[in-house]
Amino acid sequence: MDETQRRIDEVRRESTELENHLIDEYVSGKITRRELVRRGTVVGMSLPALSFIAAACGGDDDDDGGAQTGGAETTAGAVQPGGTVRVALIQPTTEPNPLLVQDEGGAGMLGATGEYLSFSDENLALQPRIAESWEPNEDGSVWTFTIRSGVTFHNGQALTSEDVVTTFDKLINPDGGSANAQSALGGVLSAGNIEAPDDTTVVFNLDAPNGNFPTLVSSANYNAIIIPADLDPADWGQTFEGTGPFKLQSFTPQQGATFVRNDAYWGEKANPDTVEVRFYAEEAPMIVALQGDEVDFLEHFSVAGGAALLDNPDVQVIGISTATHRQLHMRTDKEPFTDNRVRQAIALAIDRNALVDGLWEGRAEIGNDSPFAPLYPSTDPSVPQREQDIDQAKQLLADAGAEGFTVQLDTWDGFEIPDLAQLVKNAAAEIGVTINLNITDAGTYYGDGVFGKSTWLDSVMGITDYGHRPVPNVYLTAALAGDPKLGVWNSAHFKNDEYDELVRQYVAALDVDSQRTVAKQIQELLLEETPIIFPYFYNFLSAAKPNLQGAVSAATGQFDLSKAGFTA
Amino acid sequence: MGRFLLKRLGLAAITLFLLSVIVFFGTQVLPGNVGRRILGPFADQSAVDALNERLGTDRGLLTQYWDWLTGLFTGDFGTSLAQNVPVTELMGNALVNSLKLAAFAFVLVVPLAIFGGVVAALRRDRLTDRIITIGGLSLSVVPEFVSGIILILVFGLWLDLLPVSARAPAGASIPTQLEYLLLPALTLVILLFGYIARITRAGTIEALDADYTRTAVLKGLPRRTVLKRHVLRNSLLPTIAVVATQTGYLIGGLVVVETLFNYPGMGRLIFTAATQKDVPVLEAAVLVVGTIFLIAMLFADLLYSLLNPRIRYSGTE
Repeated sequence: MDETQRRIDEVRRESTELENHLIDEYVSGKITRRELVRRGTVVGMSLPALSFIAAACGGDDDDDGGAQTGGAETTAGAVQPGGTVRVALIQPTTEPNPLLVQDEGGAGMLGATGEYLSFSDENLALQPRIAESWEPNEDGSVWTFTIRSGVTFHNGQALTSEDVVTTFDKLINPDGGSANAQSALGGVLSAGNIEAPDDTTVVFNLDAPNGNFPTLVSSANYNAIIIPADLDPADWGQTFEGTGPFKLQSFTPQQGATFVRNDAYWGEKANPDTVEVRFYAEEAPMIVALQGDEVDFLEHFSVAGGAALLDNPDVQVIGISTATHRQLHMRTDKEPFTDNRVRQAIALAIDRNALVDGLWEGRAEIGNDSPFAPLYPSTDPSVPQREQDIDQAKQLLADAGAEGFTVQLDTWDGFEIPDLAQLVKNAAAEIGVTINLNITDAGTYYGDGVFGKSTWLDSVMGITDYGHRPVPNVYLTAALAGDPKLGVWNSAHFKNDEYDELVRQYVAALDVDSQRTVAKQIQELLLEETPIIFPYFYNFLSAAKPNLQGAVSAATGQFDLSKAGFTA
Repeated sequence: MGRFLLKRLGLAAITLFLLSVIVFFGTQVLPGNVGRRILGPFADQSAVDALNERLGTDRGLLTQYWDWLTGLFTGDFGTSLAQNVPVTELMGNALVNSLKLAAFAFVLVVPLAIFGGVVAALRRDRLTDRIITIGGLSLSVVPEFVSGIILILVFGLWLDLLPVSARAPAGASIPTQLEYLLLPALTLVILLFGYIARITRAGTIEALDADYTRTAVLKGLPRRTVLKRHVLRNSLLPTIAVVATQTGYLIGGLVVVETLFNYPGMGRLIFTAATQKDVPVLEAAVLVVGTIFLIAMLFADLLYSLLNPRIRYSGTE
């Protein structure tokens, strides 16, 4: 027996049944190396062990996960120590309060000094941070996290499991917790079900088995920075108390913030001396600031606004595949969309490749009318992609006896949405359907965000923007579940018992194989029913000056500049 | 004079009060509420309700307004609903920034436009006049985001001569700060030059044609003296009024310029507060801008009487 085999056996012996199952899936070629790392970190395997297995057991190394090459990090190279990295960030909408933040700028502020149990990186793999490791019980209904020892807050106070428990208790508190964190943890984790048996252990007792739980408490849930148990989240903005590699020097609302290296950091100390964040009210001045050398790193820009950066040799563009998307909903309980053939016809009229090229300069992946974005490891790529087919669409309308109807499409004036709406209107015209656009401001479209008081949720047809989620669970439940308690954003008013049952199974599934089996059925069911058209999932784009290396972006708004530096 | 001032102050107080009422109830007409604006469209209604309760924005409108008004009289501008910091803290910075930019723009545009207007009047109907009036007018109708972007592209990016944003690094010297403010100030010069120059030109022409000017010329005064003592004194009156009316815009209305040059001033503060329904910030900022505007108008009136003794503020109507 050679040394490699001996070590494989050793890793296998130390691995749980679930982990061994994952290794089997990799060895048999069912999942790629990237998926092995992604899923392996979620179920609690260490990165060194995973890299060893990935290298030793060979396997299929091609990557179907993201269309984008280039990774999320600016290329590594020899960098000078120290320096000041200047960042352009969209202005946070509210005070920096972990319970209130629901926007990209705010998430950037939380992540600037705060740390999460783990960091969900650009490949959706979880890198341990405050948690050293984690593992589920047999059915995934109890998850036990081991908290790193020797972690201190910026004020010198030691971090214990009690801080972790209190942080999450506050986030999921039904009375005044974080609305955003609850959108991920609602129905998964209830208040009072988190325990700290000792200083370095936290046990989460879930409401139901959940195979992706570690992701739901990682940086992907951007509100979940661990803060001291005795700190009121409303006061967080005064100190930005956290455990991260940078600490607050100054913060001016609506202007910016300055962070300096935390020399007491538990891990590798940050390279830059200072990170200077400037807030911008809009995208155009951010892009100009990067071009005009007033910032080194642009946290996020859009294809529409930043076309000048895309082919600019003086700019590094960082692209990350994400699940960020638009949903075009059709009310399944209202004419003319009660017949699924009519909904399919609209979906078939749309040329998705043209949308991706025209609206995103190719920096997006086409959708297949379910939330299963190509980047999710559980997405079954064997489900046939829906392509434009005008003849079939016309036939379906004829079969349903619904030719030549007129319908109103409601949406709001943001991002590329008005252009998308116009293109959908044009596509529908090709099959004889007249769509009248009603494009308003965001406030009018979203209204109060509850049924009966929101154009978004009440309109017969509408386009809604959805942010990135590291697992599709929220899209599957909030936007499509029949139970009104779960399907709070079910704008299509979709009710299907078979679907609800499949989603329950999907959420509980612990390994990729079984997740993918259920995912396939959900994908096929949604293609058949088509309550919502998912035209594309677009990339998250950041940009940096060519001499800035090691800057990391997350699609949720945080950025990690601890390894960043300037080349000579 | 004393009675005149007293009366003006009284009127100003009433104006400001009405302004506060309009702003307060005006913002309530917009859809949505503060809690919803802060937590976003995807938040649970119960979370929104809880936040509104905490912020006090679930109470009756009159109660909210009364609380705000009584707070104001004790010198308390309140706390920003969206940012959870005292309004004075948020507004202090913005006001200083706005005053800097407005002052710089004024210093550039007023002498330039007056000079242009007088030259145009003296060369009435000749080429110089045409260039100044038509050129100035053409520039005035260019929206500030267009002229601003062109200035940024040319001087900031292509020639790389000036900073593309208006905010100088912390602790920068005054010359550096002015360097950063030059492009936004020039954007305002482009916008205002034509307007002010045109008014000055009209005033100057009127003064040139007036009997007193003819008398002055006929009695043999040198041209320079005629211009200084008789023409300019009178021609500047309408110009002063126009310049004064621009202060409100320059202090509180520069949303586009401030956004384009990423300059945190009063315009952006007011705009952000309005979109977020952050009423304490909105009220305070609008009242401050309104006060500055009223002071500028008063100042203009006083200057009027100084330049033109025919206008007397006797207080007896």
